[in-house]
Amino acid sequence: MAETKESAEPPTILVDPIDMSKLDQSFCNEIKSMPYGEELVACFACTTCTAACPIANQWDYKPHQLIRMIILGMREEVLSSKEIWECLTCFQCQERCPQKVRVTDIFFDCKNLAAEEGKVPNSIVALGKLLLETGQLYEVTEDWQREDLDLEPEVPGLATEPLKEILKTTRTGRLVGSDE
Amino acid sequence: MVEVNDTLSGPVLIIGAGVAGMTAAIELADSDIKTILVEKKQTIGGNALELYKAFPTDDCFYCFEGSRFRPGIRKCFYRSAMLDNPNIDLRTNTRVDEITGNPGNFKVKLTTGPMYVDPKRCIMCGLCLKRSGAFSLISPQCQPQAVFYDPSLAEESVKEIEKECPTKAINLNAQSTEEQVEVSDIILATGYTEMRPVNMDEYGYGKYPNVITQLELARMLDPNGESAGALIRPSDGAPVKRVMMVQCVGSRDENYNLYCSKICCVFALKHANIIVNERNGIKTTVVYMDIRTYDRHERYYREARESGVRFVRGRVHLVRPNPDGSLDIIVYDSLLDRYLSYNIDLFVLSTALEPSEEDETLQRTLGLNTSSGFVAPLDLANDSVVAGDHVYVCGAAMGPAEVPESVTQARAVVSKILQGRQ
Ligand SMILES: Cc1cc2nc3c(=O)[nH]c(=O)nc-3n(C[C@H](O)[C@H](O)[C@H](O)COP(=O)(O)OP(=O)(O)OC[C@H]3O[C@@H](n4cnc5c(N)ncnc54)[C@H](O)[C@@H]3O)c2cc1C
Ligand code: SF4
Ligand code: SF4
Ligand code: SF4
Ligand code: SF4
Repeated sequence: MAETKESAEPPTILVDPIDMSKLDQSFCNEIKSMPYGEELVACFACTTCTAACPIANQWDYKPHQLIRMIILGMREEVLSSKEIWECLTCFQCQERCPQKVRVTDIFFDCKNLAAEEGKVPNSIVALGKLLLETGQLYEVTEDWQREDLDLEPEVPGLATEPLKEILKTTRTGRLVGSDE
Repeated sequence: MVEVNDTLSGPVLIIGAGVAGMTAAIELADSDIKTILVEKKQTIGGNALELYKAFPTDDCFYCFEGSRFRPGIRKCFYRSAMLDNPNIDLRTNTRVDEITGNPGNFKVKLTTGPMYVDPKRCIMCGLCLKRSGAFSLISPQCQPQAVFYDPSLAEESVKEIEKECPTKAINLNAQSTEEQVEVSDIILATGYTEMRPVNMDEYGYGKYPNVITQLELARMLDPNGESAGALIRPSDGAPVKRVMMVQCVGSRDENYNLYCSKICCVFALKHANIIVNERNGIKTTVVYMDIRTYDRHERYYREARESGVRFVRGRVHLVRPNPDGSLDIIVYDSLLDRYLSYNIDLFVLSTALEPSEEDETLQRTLGLNTSSGFVAPLDLANDSVVAGDHVYVCGAAMGPAEVPESVTQARAVVSKILQGRQ
């Protein structure tokens, strides 16, 4: 029961602040220098992007919060967030942003950075693999799928081989391949 | 009396008869300087004509002391005084077609009319108004006092009405007339136009009748207006029970206007306070991203909160019309990080104040500096009302402005002209 003077006093800080010195101060400039990232810091936190977004309702980090996190330098949290991958790329946030911040494009930049660091969710990797192996994202697996639409059973003129060749040499090929 | 230099004694042309143009005209006239006051509409008064209560005093800015105590009566002696002043040559229904000549001696071509209704003869008996929709009253406050005729709405009956008008004020075959005037100075007082956001899909303006602008709301709140001050749904005339306003529509938005329209926060809250305090039981919610009630106008914000106006910091997610005429509006509340769903009757957009339509041509003809489409003074720091050699600007022609500001600027123009003539 060693009573120290310190423990008798209430802690002086009750909140759990983000230690700003631990954040990556260069992250903001990094995104700014990427394609369509220039207007990033024009954001004035109006939240129009979030209001416009059809899916943000389900997200822990809303579009405006992701933009805020990028500006603050929360690199780790942004690049490993599920939200940047769940984005529908519908561009509604970007269309309505009053400060011309290219929100959707910035999320593409984030995805590219995350991919470079191998932070691609498994579901996305699986899609990449499918694309690489079949040359298609959507394969016709059942006869009725085309029959119901009054279409002939085979897609006429479908040639996936050349596409597969090309894909091997792309970033997708590299990223998915390196995972193997 | 001031000695007037001959070369500088020509009349002053004032373009636009809103509060700024009227102030300049009346004060120059008081100093014995002749003015030609040109107004494209059939009435003078400009945008302030239909404002009901005006901040900062909450009454009509131009009423003389006496009428302040007669609520609902806003007979503007100021405006009617303009008609009979021997130093003011008022031309309503008139446009500036061409400006040539030199500073100090401009030659200006004016086109007037067609004057289908002679304002000197019309006694506002109302006969034509009852008989055909082609005749209308712009405002009970209009000056000169005369009805307005729109030939595009003409029906068979208008010919008979022309004959029956007790004072023979109507001439359906009227033609426009042209005249060239010579003036020494030009004052631009062309004011602003309120943006109509028909291209902004997210708000449904122009698509759903119960989505209106603040100026349209002001007209509705005006006891002299069509609804006699009652808030009704444009779709079916039903009484309004719930109002929602949204700020910064088309302002601070680089896709439309990059500037802050400055006074929309103040007049939105002025309207919200009137609705909550004077129209019992109507609930009002204001959706905003920043409230900018600058300097003394902060009191409107404070009063709004005390009166029960609700504020939501966020933006509109979507607007959906219901078969019963009401609107479902989902708002993203950025403080709570939740979506709020509302059912409302009237959705009021605080839209941007933009330059007047013909401003660009005038600015180009006179070779003026501009800023976001408004006239920019030559030297912002020292002479904010001088736009060029013998060219002046005042009021909202320089950018969004409140009435007191517009009046002060008009007075500054007057003193500049007087100085130049001493
Ligand atoms: C909804 C709303 C509420 C407001 N409430 C308030 C308030 O409570 N208090 C306050 O102080 N201010 C208020 N204002 C602002 C107020 O309307 C302006 O300050 C004021 O009208 C500016 O006067 P003005 O003479 O500069 O321009 P305007 O009133 O716009 O007048 C300009 C005139 O010039 C004419 N014109 C334009 N171009 C030409 C041309 N080429 N040739 C001939 N004529 C032309 C126009 O027809 C118009 O009559 C409000 C504004 C809005 C939109
Ligand atoms: S809409 Fe644009 S300015 Fe507004 S919060 Fe989003 S990114 Fe920032
Ligand atoms: S592009 Fe992505 S973030 Fe933007 S509105 Fe669409 S889903 Fe939301
Ligand atoms: S009938 Fe003639 S006098 Fe009467 S309101 Fe019409 S125009 Fe004026
Ligand atoms: S005055 Fe208010 S509503 Fe108008 S643009 Fe500025 S912040 Fe937006």
